[in-house]
Amino acid sequence: MGKQKPPHTMKRDGRIRRQRSSAGEEQSSVDHTSVESYRYSRRRRSSLRAGLAVLGGRAAGALSRRLHLGGGTSIAGVVAQRLYPDIVGHLSKQLRYGSVLVTGTNGKTTTSGFIAAILSDAGLRVWRNREGSNLMRGVAGALVIRAQPNGSLRRSGQAISVFEVDEAVVPQFVESVHPRVVAFNNLFRDQLDRYGEVDSVAARWQKAIRMLPDNTTVVLNADDPSIAVLGDHFDGRVVYFGIDDGELHLGDGAERHQTIDTRTCPHCGTDYSYDTRFYSHLGHYFCPGCGYTRPQPSVRAVKVANEGLDRLRVGVETPEHKREIIIPLPGLYNVYNALAAIAVAQALEISWGPIATGIEQFKPVFGRGERVQADGRTLRLLLAKNPTGFNEVLRTLFSDSTPRHVLFILNDNIADGRDISWIWDVDFERLVGYTGSLTVAGTRALDLALRLKYAGVALDDMKIVMPAPLRAATRSLDAKERRKLRRSRSVKSTKRQAISTAEKEPSSEASEQLHEEGIGGRPQGYTHTSQQGRASAGEYGIAKALDAAISRTPVGETLFIVPTYTGLLEVHRQLERRGLTPHYWEEKGP
Amino acid sequence: MNEQTMPRYSLTLGHLYPDQLNLYGDRGNILTLRRRCELRNIELRVVGLGIGDALAPDEYDMLFIGGGQDKEQAPVAQDLYEIKGIGLWAAIEDDMPVLAVCGGYQLLAHYYRPAEGPDMRGLGVFDAWTIHKGAHVARCIGNIAISWNGQTLVGFENHGGRTYLGTAKPLGKVLKGYGNNAEDHTEGAVYRNTFGTYLHGSLLPKNPHFADHLISLALYRKYGAIDGAEEAWYEQEGEKQNGSRPFEANGRSPVPDPLAPLDDTLEWEAHASMLERLGLYQAAVAALHSS
Repeated sequence: MGKQKPPHTMKRDGRIRRQRSSAGEEQSSVDHTSVESYRYSRRRRSSLRAGLAVLGGRAAGALSRRLHLGGGTSIAGVVAQRLYPDIVGHLSKQLRYGSVLVTGTNGKTTTSGFIAAILSDAGLRVWRNREGSNLMRGVAGALVIRAQPNGSLRRSGQAISVFEVDEAVVPQFVESVHPRVVAFNNLFRDQLDRYGEVDSVAARWQKAIRMLPDNTTVVLNADDPSIAVLGDHFDGRVVYFGIDDGELHLGDGAERHQTIDTRTCPHCGTDYSYDTRFYSHLGHYFCPGCGYTRPQPSVRAVKVANEGLDRLRVGVETPEHKREIIIPLPGLYNVYNALAAIAVAQALEISWGPIATGIEQFKPVFGRGERVQADGRTLRLLLAKNPTGFNEVLRTLFSDSTPRHVLFILNDNIADGRDISWIWDVDFERLVGYTGSLTVAGTRALDLALRLKYAGVALDDMKIVMPAPLRAATRSLDAKERRKLRRSRSVKSTKRQAISTAEKEPSSEASEQLHEEGIGGRPQGYTHTSQQGRASAGEYGIAKALDAAISRTPVGETLFIVPTYTGLLEVHRQLERRGLTPHYWEEKGP
Repeated sequence: MNEQTMPRYSLTLGHLYPDQLNLYGDRGNILTLRRRCELRNIELRVVGLGIGDALAPDEYDMLFIGGGQDKEQAPVAQDLYEIKGIGLWAAIEDDMPVLAVCGGYQLLAHYYRPAEGPDMRGLGVFDAWTIHKGAHVARCIGNIAISWNGQTLVGFENHGGRTYLGTAKPLGKVLKGYGNNAEDHTEGAVYRNTFGTYLHGSLLPKNPHFADHLISLALYRKYGAIDGAEEAWYEQEGEKQNGSRPFEANGRSPVPDPLAPLDDTLEWEAHASMLERLGLYQAAVAALHSS
């Protein structure tokens, strides 16, 4: 910890307490209110089991790290949870200042990063599940690796934890942790194969909110109707945040075909109308049917100005303050992330000083605007894992007509979501003509290339780097197979003597005949099936993709890497191998 | 080619419930149809048909219905039955090509029986029905390949309901994946030129042969076979333009080759790469040779 910050007041369990951080006090300063003393007896009984779980988890984590399987945090959590299912509840209750939960489809990591920076600038010891595993096992792991074999947390004195939690596990989390503040940032379609539909996530959150004790503070995005209505289900304190700068209105122009994930009022089913729309369904909405309107936020951004690609100057108003703040990240979505963090800090009664320093001196987190120097180029990593996130990244990159060098990585591993249909909801049309160089990689590189092709990007203008060569491309059909293929097609097509039976199957004899007659020539650039003619032949794998993208970016310029989640992990691994970034799981907490 | 300025053919695509049934990147299907028409100098107008809009079958040459969330599906089902039903039936019986994906497919069968709550009535175009067996039965989620018309179709499926076919013909046979119900290896349903399927991903970009099939069905239905095409062209377009583009101008028929082959190398590579991932090497080789 090391930092000695001025003492500050914090409210907890209805009492105001003045806190000093001194190393000797921390160990024993777990306080017991009446509720906690009841839990205390239970904890004694379970401490043996918790100790066992901690030992097991930490051993598994150490083993996994030794074997270079990964950071070992998740496996520690899995093992500990197996040994003691309520290990999270057991350990989290020892946190002196409790915990903050951050959730939402986009912006969890950045928002919790802002909050952690603010809290640590306010002199607290902040614990996070920063390794990116935001399921229960990640939360469990983050606690277990900081626990002692007797089942108690080390140095829990000044501790507060900030957990970013996956949308789907919010109810489980709330049940075992009882957070002091819960922040909901936004709700968009994301990984439909994993979460199900947007509505089922909203239903889970409503369930979670009903389980919260009244002394919890709930922080909600007023501009996202699916988030704001959560306030209706909660009797305790609610803090809304939102943007009140009408100049950011999207208008009815080119961006109207954005995907809208929340369309109708939950009270009466009427479609929302908007006075101002910022992006997707975020804005100043009202229901013409029943009169439901956006709640008036108490933490507001009244003026948002871009300062180049890297910074935003934002006028922020809260009931206590009226300040200007610099957010060292691009994109309107980061305004929401910062506002959420400010609202959480307000709920925790943190003064403005740490809020300003926490946000203004914020270092981009893992893949969210992070910057790395490589071979004289600057690499910037911008994670994009769902249509709204991707759209906002593209909007940030291509808002002025500066040509950008871009590497897209589209993976469909489980952590990314197996279904990549959503790329068709992303407005890639925006980048046509504005790319300096364009490289496409990942397990679904071809799908993304196809999407770009249909957006209007010429094939020659993009470099496709597949993860592995197509095996089928290395061999051709033998005569027997060719006959079989032709026969099976002609049987079906005799059914209909349409104008186009022949044209539709360019490989059939009829079409070749048409060719000889000079009717319906093949368009230029038509290539026959051969390895050379493949759009994707040549180099394979993320390492090659990175090399290609870097070499296509002139020295001194910036290459923007826009990966899905596992793509980001792969890029990080590559950069680490080249000695360009620290191992992220070795970063020390503040 | 002769002058590209004036489209020789024009088609109108009715996109049903674009605001309600827009899940799973169904926009890709529309983009694909639009671009593949554009490249052949066929004008494709896309008209969105929302809740409350009537469906006049004469105004369209092709229809598309996507999938949506459960919440959105109920008002859509009611509108489909009460307002668009008659027009849609007329269009379907008149051989209009209709593509219905996922939720749209379910709505064209007899009914959708949710795990809880009352049945949702469908149009009954397909003699088929869908049952959601409850949350304890796993959804059918994953990449899928089916055989269709001697070739393959690839896509992604994600549905909780299981569809069972009565007398309806399936669209294809499941090669890898779940299909209608994960039991009988059927996928989708076909009635006249109406295709119901669970494949999205989007379906059409990676299955250019299927996209072209739909376009050619629409062209054939509107402009007739190649022999009658000149007359059809005069009937449809010539009168409007007062014969301002006589055939003699370029010495040959204005209706030469509507579906000229396109450079689909990338499409077929993406198609083949999915087949390969599903372990269907033979089919992947065949697919690469389609381009």
